[in-house]
Amino acid sequence: MHVLLVEDDLVLADGVARILREEGVVVDVVHSGEDADRALAMRELSVAVLDIGLPGIDGFEVVRRLRARGSNMPVLLLTARDEVQDRVRGLEIGADDYLVKPFAAPELVARLKALVRRSNPRSTDLRISGLHLDSQSRRASVDGQTIELSAREWAVLEYLVQNASRVVSKQQIIDAILPWGEELTLNAVEVYVSRLRAKIASAGIVIKTIRGFGYLLEPGVA
Amino acid sequence: MSLRARLLKWLVIPLVLLNLLAAGIAYWLAWIPAQSALDQSLADAAWALVPHVQESGDSVQLQLSKQAEQVLRVDHFDQVFFVVRDMEGTTVAGDADFPELRIPEQMNVFVAYLSEMRGEQVRAITLLTEVDGEMILIGVAETRIKRQQIRLRILWALLGVELLLLLIVVAVIWLVLDKGFLPLRAILDDLARRRAEDLSPLPTRDAPQEIAPFLVAMNDLLQRAQRNARAKQDFLANVAHQLRTPLAGFRAQLEWLQAHHRQDDDTAHSTALMLASTDRMVRQANQLLALARSEPGGSGRGQREILQLDQLVSESVQQFVRQALKKDIDIGFDLQPTEIVGDRFLLRDLLDNLVDNAIRYTAAGGVVNVGCLTENGQGVLKVEDNGPGIPDSEKDKVFTRFYRLDQTQSGSGLGLAIVRDIASDHGASIEVGQGANGHGTVFWVRFPAAVQQQAV
Repeated sequence: MHVLLVEDDLVLADGVARILREEGVVVDVVHSGEDADRALAMRELSVAVLDIGLPGIDGFEVVRRLRARGSNMPVLLLTARDEVQDRVRGLEIGADDYLVKPFAAPELVARLKALVRRSNPRSTDLRISGLHLDSQSRRASVDGQTIELSAREWAVLEYLVQNASRVVSKQQIIDAILPWGEELTLNAVEVYVSRLRAKIASAGIVIKTIRGFGYLLEPGVA
Repeated sequence: MSLRARLLKWLVIPLVLLNLLAAGIAYWLAWIPAQSALDQSLADAAWALVPHVQESGDSVQLQLSKQAEQVLRVDHFDQVFFVVRDMEGTTVAGDADFPELRIPEQMNVFVAYLSEMRGEQVRAITLLTEVDGEMILIGVAETRIKRQQIRLRILWALLGVELLLLLIVVAVIWLVLDKGFLPLRAILDDLARRRAEDLSPLPTRDAPQEIAPFLVAMNDLLQRAQRNARAKQDFLANVAHQLRTPLAGFRAQLEWLQAHHRQDDDTAHSTALMLASTDRMVRQANQLLALARSEPGGSGRGQREILQLDQLVSESVQQFVRQALKKDIDIGFDLQPTEIVGDRFLLRDLLDNLVDNAIRYTAAGGVVNVGCLTENGQGVLKVEDNGPGIPDSEKDKVFTRFYRLDQTQSGSGLGLAIVRDIASDHGASIEVGQGANGHGTVFWVRFPAAVQQQAV
């Protein structure tokens, strides 16, 4: 994953860049709207993280120009102001997501990964702790040992891993794995998750139940 | 001195004077006929003597039997005197020491006057008449005991009446002033009922002409205060916003540091503390923003719209769960489809504060439940914890700004004040109760029915 980070606050830019690099992401950092515009015009990256309040041309304008050039590159806006106008305007001009400062690093990472996956759904090879998902062959393995999963179980696990460290609701899971309007009850989701827990028990991953809501998959103390 | 007392004083003094004048006039009006009636009865006595006066030779004589004289002189209260004199002033009959007679200007019309006899004040009349061609003067007098008594009686009666009138008038004035002060009282009530932050103008419609300029001046003042308050809110919001970027940078650096030095216990301990501190600063900045927003006319408000309360909670779930897991609190949700009308951003502040509060004041290993449902058409938000609970005596106070139940917990004392402000701004009521098993706390926020609100 190759990210363009546009943030005029040097401390924040440096911190976010380091965190992303820690995740194995390639990060280019620029500090002004002009530089961002130039960089984006030059080459297509996986995703842009763009502060709204930039000196010179602001984040909105950068997105507008990017979209005007016909690019579909996902953009996540950062803002210090969580106000309706900002959010509405950001989404109107074609930004894909929106995060209010200050944010937790895992949240940013999770959202970026989700954005990248959405824009490029085919090429994923997911790895988290001892778990490895190969989307191409739809095979999962724990510490190199292939585990047997039904198609539904695989879909649920893939969705949870794609949204690792984020809470997902049961309805979100159903909507994600059943795109053609098939029927599935919330109870069925529970059944799949409990089976998955048993199957990946040794992978160093926990799937926490969030009562009355859904699940949270994270690397954990197994 | 109260305005009422002042008005009363200025009204009562002239009223008393006026009453005294009226009393004086009434006294004379009552006394004069009484006096003339009494004088008339003296004159009647004189007339009664006339038939008994006779001409004999060249002198006149009074032929009056003892009994007749007795009848003439008898009076229950007063001594009665009489005299008959000729035109030379010679006493023909009666009391010789009768004072000199005043001669009336006309025949047969008596004249009444005050005189003195035997050391006493007397009322006397003189009658000039003709008996058998001879002019004679008849004087009748009586002491004034009866008259004084009548006078006193009139006086007392008048005083009583006047006093009663005065009391009635004072009572009427009192009541009228009361009525007159009603608009003032209404304004006072309006001001007294307000919350500290409410600087909206006073209603000037229906205000009496005399109070209107005062109200206008007052509203002008309120408006200035409101402008100041708004400037203060904008400043607060601005500061809070300005703080966010450096805090975000600080936080990002700390997170990196923490991830990188996970193995070194001392450094990990230190970075964890710094992160906790940073989160507190972040929270304070957010609280300042929420406070600036929650006040009437606060900056950064959105619009009223129909919202799904369950969805609003869902949007904050990431943050709630992260907070709860950090403290090893079991957080649960029960989100029924619930429609309310409100401002998305204010309501998010309300929700954040209630849930944050529940997590903050519940010990590690505790339980927090967040739910929403529709009850009788009303959207209800319910946040429940099994923490230490709030004693009954403190239940109202917890919504006061800067009030903190547990001083050992970090907190700004603003959270529930913000919740209250936002709730009342939405016409929602807040109820604080006890948790399921008699411990912990439940907050219910009941929103007005969405359908009704839309209709208005």
